[in-house]
Amino acid sequence: MDRESRNGFVGLVLVSHSAAIADGLAELVAQVAGPSVPIVAAGGGPEGTFGTDGGRVLDALREAAGPTGAVILMDLGSSVLSVRAALGELPEETVERLRIADAPLVEGAIAAGVTASTGGSVDEVLAAAQEARTVAKF
Amino acid sequence: MPSSETERRAILPDEVPLHARPAGDFVRAAAQFPAEICVLANGKRANAKSILEILALGALGGTELVIAASGDRAAEAADHLAGLVPQLG
Repeated sequence: MDRESRNGFVGLVLVSHSAAIADGLAELVAQVAGPSVPIVAAGGGPEGTFGTDGGRVLDALREAAGPTGAVILMDLGSSVLSVRAALGELPEETVERLRIADAPLVEGAIAAGVTASTGGSVDEVLAAAQEARTVAKF
Repeated sequence: MPSSETERRAILPDEVPLHARPAGDFVRAAAQFPAEICVLANGKRANAKSILEILALGALGGTELVIAASGDRAAEAADHLAGLVPQLG
């Protein structure tokens, strides 16, 4: 799907048990990374509960998997399982453009967003996200 | 690889800490250059192309930053970033 601001920038998918966390993080990343990076938030369970919604995650991956690719960041547990299940539903050529980051959600998303905004490749954006595992906070 | 190393100093505007959007603007500018670029502030050192390292400097408004660049187009990178810092906001 190519909508609005996809101009060759790698996208992000943010998956959380909480819609407020995913949506708020998308706003925060847009502040730091600027408006050029496509960000899709997929937070919360069906009907506004806490949890994950496999259908929403699948839609988010489809929306984000443009030609330049996208990096997926998740919080914990069933978010990871939902993403893995959704990837299993997608055709191979779509999955090849996606990367799953093993990284803290907030810090990883900020690092990934800024690297994406510099025009970094999907693997550079993934590496930036995963650097968040080791960079000290202060 | 040229062995040139260039150091420049620049002061953040009083009301602009190197956080959030200004930090993102700085990192995006640094990422345009092939040089290796470090920022020193508050006794810490950060890779200018890493937003998390830049944020960890905790540089408040009015802080002096030392920008040290080496490698390809180092002087150009250091000059450009030193010129950008006072204009962040």
